[in-house]
Amino acid sequence: MAFNILVVDDSSVMRMIIIKTLRLSKLPLGEISEAANGQEALEVLAGKWIDLVLVDINMPVMDGEEMINRLRENPATADLPILIVSTEGSETRKERLVQKRVGFIHKPFTPESLRFAIFKMLGGLDEQKTGN
Amino acid sequence: MSKRLETELYKAATLTFEEMGFLLPTPEIGEQQLNAQVEAMVSVEFKGPFSGKLLVRVCGGLLPILAANMLGEEETPPINLQYDALGEIANVICGNILPCIAGSRELFCVSTPKMVESIDLPPVAEIQVGLGLGRADLLLFISNHAVHAE
Repeated sequence: MAFNILVVDDSSVMRMIIIKTLRLSKLPLGEISEAANGQEALEVLAGKWIDLVLVDINMPVMDGEEMINRLRENPATADLPILIVSTEGSETRKERLVQKRVGFIHKPFTPESLRFAIFKMLGGLDEQKTGN
Repeated sequence: MSKRLETELYKAATLTFEEMGFLLPTPEIGEQQLNAQVEAMVSVEFKGPFSGKLLVRVCGGLLPILAANMLGEEETPPINLQYDALGEIANVICGNILPCIAGSRELFCVSTPKMVESIDLPPVAEIQVGLGLGRADLLLFISNHAVHAE
């Protein structure tokens, strides 16, 4: 099984870093899609099957939290795995987001920590599946 | 200037430059680093219990090195990506410094980084980080916060 992943961040450099880390992760990857804000991400999700969303919080147009709210309200995406990749330091916001069943990784991250968080998010893929 | 703020700013900056830019801070800032020409300046504004901005200025050839390191590229990335890389560095440092100033319960809205050409207000904290042959300057501006009194 190959995973289709959507990377949502207003920084094109951050999207490139995340995608490079994904390609080096030995995850069985399908298509990797990109969006620069929550609104664009919802449009991508409306037209494609996505297995995992990696999303920043602070973005223009529509921020990550609003995007997550919209996804959780929609029965089709209510259980979609979401990993927040953000500098967010507020415990208040983090606690609110964790209640929406999302994972969290703090920037700056190392490639290893991002890889670990993704594996955890996808239900602990075993070594055989990931080729390790 | 607040010594505590400057210490926290230095910690957040060095961690970010190390982990994202693979650049280690030099123990001291030498003559060449001090005299290095400014290449670019980026500002990140924040709003919450108090508002302000973090300004990051890089000098002495750091901008293309930083972007190339972040992207894992051997060739120099295009200038728009170099600016974007600097913006993301500023964004990450800003996100990490705010809980140190305000406490971890407070909520802030951090805006998209933007390139700037001048500095208007006096900063509440200012640090320099020596990186390779260049340096990064970080200036923190805060309004309506008790930190002014420190």
